[in-house]
Amino acid sequence: MLAMLAKLLKILNSDASPGQISLGFAFALFIGLTPFFSLHNLFVFLLVCVIRVNLGGFFFASAIFALLAFILDPVSISLGEYLLNHPELQPLWTNLYQSDVWRAFKFNHTLLLGSVVLSCMLFIPVWIAFSILIKLYRTKLMAWFEKLKIVKFLKASKFYQAYERLGA
Amino acid sequence: MTKWIRWSGLIGFIVVSALIVCFWMFAAGPLTKLAIESFGSDALGAKVDVADVSFGLNPMTITVTGVQLTDKDKPMENIVSFDRAVANIEPFPLLLGKAIIPQLSLEGVATGTPRRVSGAIAKPEKKEKKESPSDAPDKKAAQAKPESKTLPSADEILERESLLTEQAGDAFETAYATHSKNIEQSLANLPTEDSIKQYETQLNKLLKGRFKSLDDFKQRKKELDTLKAQFKQDKQAIANAKQAIKQGKSDLKLKFSELKAAPKQDLNNIKSKYTLDGAGASNLTALLFGEDAGGYAQTTLDYYEKVRPLFVDEATQAAKAELKAKRLEGRFVQFETDRPQPDFWVKTLTFTMSLPKIGEDSLSLGEVAVNVLDITHQQEVINRPTLIKGEGVNLRNIASLTINGVLDHRTSPGKDDFTLDVQDWQLNKVKLGLAGLKIDSTLVDVQAKGYVSAGQLNASGQARFNQVRFSSKDRTVLAKEMVAALASIDTFVVNGKAKGEFSDPSMSINSDLDKQLNSAFDQRIAQKQQELENKLKAKLNDKLMGYAGDYQTQLQELNLTEGRLSSKGDALEKLGKQELSSYEDQLKAEAKAKADAEKARAKAKADAEKARAKAEADRKRKELERKAKEKLKDLF
Repeated sequence: MLAMLAKLLKILNSDASPGQISLGFAFALFIGLTPFFSLHNLFVFLLVCVIRVNLGGFFFASAIFALLAFILDPVSISLGEYLLNHPELQPLWTNLYQSDVWRAFKFNHTLLLGSVVLSCMLFIPVWIAFSILIKLYRTKLMAWFEKLKIVKFLKASKFYQAYERLGA
Repeated sequence: MTKWIRWSGLIGFIVVSALIVCFWMFAAGPLTKLAIESFGSDALGAKVDVADVSFGLNPMTITVTGVQLTDKDKPMENIVSFDRAVANIEPFPLLLGKAIIPQLSLEGVATGTPRRVSGAIAKPEKKEKKESPSDAPDKKAAQAKPESKTLPSADEILERESLLTEQAGDAFETAYATHSKNIEQSLANLPTEDSIKQYETQLNKLLKGRFKSLDDFKQRKKELDTLKAQFKQDKQAIANAKQAIKQGKSDLKLKFSELKAAPKQDLNNIKSKYTLDGAGASNLTALLFGEDAGGYAQTTLDYYEKVRPLFVDEATQAAKAELKAKRLEGRFVQFETDRPQPDFWVKTLTFTMSLPKIGEDSLSLGEVAVNVLDITHQQEVINRPTLIKGEGVNLRNIASLTINGVLDHRTSPGKDDFTLDVQDWQLNKVKLGLAGLKIDSTLVDVQAKGYVSAGQLNASGQARFNQVRFSSKDRTVLAKEMVAALASIDTFVVNGKAKGEFSDPSMSINSDLDKQLNSAFDQRIAQKQQELENKLKAKLNDKLMGYAGDYQTQLQELNLTEGRLSSKGDALEKLGKQELSSYEDQLKAEAKAKADAEKARAKAKADAEKARAKAEADRKRKELERKAKEKLKDLF
């Protein structure tokens, strides 16, 4: 827990732009909320590697969203069930189902489709929201925050120092 | 814009992807080999060996070589082995963990090949449940059951059975030897031809001429008495010989009738014991063909039982159905498609198998090109049953061979149908299970069908044997009779049935051969009885004649001699008595003649006196009449 908090502080206090950090958070939605071993995550990793997003933020958020997934899975499954069984969408799914490539993406799996759609729906809001929040933090809260005893304690801890030395 | 692109990240991604591909190329083969051997061995319960596994990327293929699947019941034998299997794999379904194989070709497929090392897997020792005493008999019964199912072979039957024919034959031979000895001894005591002629000469000498005196008569009588004593002795010898022959004839006749009845009785005994009358499953046809037919059927069922889980994984289906209820893991929603994707699907499997050797033929009957469509344990996904089609190729002695199978498990319970059609199968020198019988040649048409559903097997088949020729090297009565009876049969039909629990079906084989054979047997038995009777009669006569050379003639002559001797003896006795009585009568007659002469003389004298008195009386009466007349005249 302390390690995660230290990591978050490191990310928030780094030179990385709020946009890159929040974009990493947004991409993390897919890794965290959707089943990990899915073909679409390969593309997400490719994008994360190629696009200059904050990797620390991405991995940190992936872990956080993976925990959140336990709560959101029922919602994702319900959403997937609704979409896959929606009469108006049947032609679309049936057409996609004829393709091996699309089926390789497991689009017809309720959890996967629901969680991907949920991730897509949250992608932009998360990106924008976290960009704003990080900017607000840096301008208004960072100075106050660093004065907190707990933060000073953390920064003084051997773990944080070792973490910084590694340049994470 | 370029500040948003991380080139190092792109290179890293490419490197990682390249590493994965390299791993696929080099490590995946050995890992797959290990996986096949490990999971295969667990599933089969015996060792599965794979020589090598290699992958190709374009098109994606997997090549498996040197595969051997051990028969867990015979660890030194493989159920199936093949030299090479090449499978094309669709790549995208593989990402979903689905193995879709459009084409799988097997080369060098063989069954029952020997192994160099044992394929048994050491099972972990399980603590055996302590048997309760009540369980023991059941276990014994279960152990004894397979033995009871085994049909006895012909040799076993002949060894096991005490044949009446043999017993009666032995008894006949013993009786024949005993009686022939007795008869020979009796015949040795009979008078010879010369002695009989001498008797005649002596008899004639004694009977011819008049007795010169009483002494002469006495001398002749004495000689006659001696001759008669000799006759009596010889007659006794003849009577003894007659008695011995009569007794021998009677006993041998009885033994012969027993011997005559024995083959039929043996056949009836065997028929009733082994239910050859078609009433039971192990009837005559089963005895003839049962062991082989039953063996082939059992082997087929064993193979089917072993292969069935590969086609139909009902346990997995049930487990998956249970899993579907867990909503939290989500589920796959299926849509209408002409491209269904079960977890495992071999769209086409082709291989060629050698047919077994039949009879004394050293070469295989040919090969069967097998084409199996849609092998999967999720038929409900592809909505198609598994189809098996086998066609005979490079066939020897078979015009055509077709095997069809439909394994339909789309609904529960599933149903597996099979048909077999063999046309004009030239069978040569096929050993049968009884009395050393074999089919020299025949043309067979086979049609069979069957299905398995809900663990129940129901199969039936018909084999029509045309232009059939039987033979047997055995020299037993049964073998000869079987061959003779079968000789009249040109065509027969064998019907086979298997029904009941798939793991333990009740099998029966019957045919019109039973009827035909029964009829032929009846005819043959009647014919053979007559033949046997005639043959035995002739043989008995020959043997009887053989005891004393031309015994019959001698017997007849003996009978004549006996008659002649009897009549002559009687005549001699009569003559003897007659001579003796005439000598006494001669004296009596002389006395009587003298008395008669005296008597006649006295009678003549009396008659003369009487005539004289009568004449005097007549004269006196006439005188009185005349005087009376004269007095009357005087009155008138």
